[in-house]
Amino acid sequence: MSGDRIPLTLRVRNGAAVAEFRIDAEPRRTVLDMLERLRSGGGTVPAYRHSCHHGSCGTCGARINGVEALMCLTSASDLGSPRARVPGGPAVEPERGEDGSVIVELEPLAKMTVISGIAVYPGTAFAGIPAGAGYLAVSEPGGRAPLPPDPTEPRPAGRVRFEACIECGSCVSSCPVAVPFIGPAALAAVNREREKRPERAPAMLALAAASDGVEPCGRHLACSRVCPQAVYPGKHIQLLRNALAEEPSASG
Amino acid sequence: MPAASGVLYTRFMFDPPITTRNRARVCVIGGGGTGAALAYDLSLRGFSVTLLEKGELTSGTTGRHHGQLHSGARYAVGDRAIASECMEETLILRRIAPEAIEYNGGVFVAVDDDDADYAPVFVSACLEAGIPAREVPVSEARSWEPVINPAARRTVWVPDGAFDAFRMPMSFFAAARRLGAGIRSFTEAVAVDVVAGRAAAVIARPVSTGRDERIECDYVVSATGAWAGSVGRMAGFDAPITPAPGTMVAVRGRLSDMVLSRLSPPGDGDIIVPQRGLSIIGTTQRVVDDPDCVLPDDDDVEFLLKRADELAPGFSSRGVHAVWAAARPLAGRSSGDGRSLSRDFMVLDHAAPGAVPGSAGMATLIGGKATVLRAMAEKAADHVCEALGVGEPCRTREFVLPSWRDYYAEETR
Repeated sequence: MSGDRIPLTLRVRNGAAVAEFRIDAEPRRTVLDMLERLRSGGGTVPAYRHSCHHGSCGTCGARINGVEALMCLTSASDLGSPRARVPGGPAVEPERGEDGSVIVELEPLAKMTVISGIAVYPGTAFAGIPAGAGYLAVSEPGGRAPLPPDPTEPRPAGRVRFEACIECGSCVSSCPVAVPFIGPAALAAVNREREKRPERAPAMLALAAASDGVEPCGRHLACSRVCPQAVYPGKHIQLLRNALAEEPSASG
Repeated sequence: MPAASGVLYTRFMFDPPITTRNRARVCVIGGGGTGAALAYDLSLRGFSVTLLEKGELTSGTTGRHHGQLHSGARYAVGDRAIASECMEETLILRRIAPEAIEYNGGVFVAVDDDDADYAPVFVSACLEAGIPAREVPVSEARSWEPVINPAARRTVWVPDGAFDAFRMPMSFFAAARRLGAGIRSFTEAVAVDVVAGRAAAVIARPVSTGRDERIECDYVVSATGAWAGSVGRMAGFDAPITPAPGTMVAVRGRLSDMVLSRLSPPGDGDIIVPQRGLSIIGTTQRVVDDPDCVLPDDDDVEFLLKRADELAPGFSSRGVHAVWAAARPLAGRSSGDGRSLSRDFMVLDHAAPGAVPGSAGMATLIGGKATVLRAMAEKAADHVCEALGVGEPCRTREFVLPSWRDYYAEETR
């Protein structure tokens, strides 16, 4: 691992308490790597969620120094560099302790029930996603030839890929709306479903038009700013608003 | 509507007819893909299931998989039976978990003379294993995926795919819970209580309370993969398991829809798997004693990127998104890199002849690989049925699984 180690003080929320760990991390080590190393080294590390370790599963979201991010994609190098302290805010030098180490506060995602430590039940992020919303999307061929005939596949062979949203809940946690609201993750899914399945568009617009649909959104755009997958939920909410404006019957 | 719409929007209700409940209680230790499929299989057969996982579900090896849904082509030359089983399972998974799979097929690419010489052996082995591999002109393969090395010598189409290593197993968990299984994440199995020579309960410690609970059961299955050694020791059983971590590197950019593999005997850095907007090169292999905290080996990164460039030139010029490692659960013991160990799986009954006396009522599932998670669960559930005299057949081939989202949406605590 090249580069000098970066001195860090991890402060991990554990209920009313905070567990503190002082470590010197190689620049490329991620917050998740650090927690894993502390845990396997016999340390009593507050509980945390993790699975894929490469930003695909969406389990390891946390508030890192106040801003939602995936722990598996946040490196010691990132933490030692200027970072925003609020979603979309200006990058500022990291806060350091008396010994010069960078202070890294790890808090559970907001709006979710904490299991223990910084591990949460992520149900809030999932609850508003419409039942049956497809997770596959067309992968654009971009000039490539169609996929070849496939003796093992009776269905039409089109190029497919997963939706970009990894359902990590970062957007839900960052959203400042405090009234009943199905939230940015659900609305992004609603809009994607509307776009992909025209036959479900009326049902999707009805969800968007409900009182907990797009209306409570105050266009803070924190959701789009913290999204690790560039889904930009705020954009999907605006697209739903546009669609509702074009179909007055759906917003009645 | 795009032409592919038929693939995208098939919708199902998960509503299997409930089997008559039997009275047997089974405790599954380990919340990875195998435990997920086993909890589901046992629940379908009418058992009362409690699954214990010390951390988040799929947080061991399962979630870190690169996601290749094996047609079995990779194993066809070395182990025909495993190859056939992969083909069979890949077809089943494509049917029962369609939303967790990006199925676009795959191409094996012969890069050098040795690879090219290997091609005929490879194709005939695939065909003998029931995998409809077919050699195609390099120009044709490159028309599907222009990222394939233009200097490639030969190219072979195979029915490989990619799956979401988290959402596939979570769909099994959602199904298991729908059928009444108790899925206890962040709850560690800390002891097995043996009464009169038989496992009678598992002591479970939830991280949220720290207070031990006694899970009474009639049978215990350890589905703990690379952790089978330490969990087995809890019950006095010496599980022959070799944790074999491998490093993977994800770069930014979806270089292909198809899975690209090196047309050569299995080795390090021989697979590129697309995943959303990323491309993953895997893997390396080494052997460790402790599967906890397998951090990526930094020397591996440069090697993997170089190997990736041979398959898909320009791969290494993409920005590195993440580097990580996962511990394969190889069955057997190895002092080398573990490549000599089979990827087969087996169910070891703790009370088998030669095993520790006084350890009836428990089995350990070892080996295997992600693509065959359902088959591993079937074999383990068959074993439980036989041990407890239950005659229910496996039905996990029959039903399309519910969405992984159901698991969390229903988790209302």
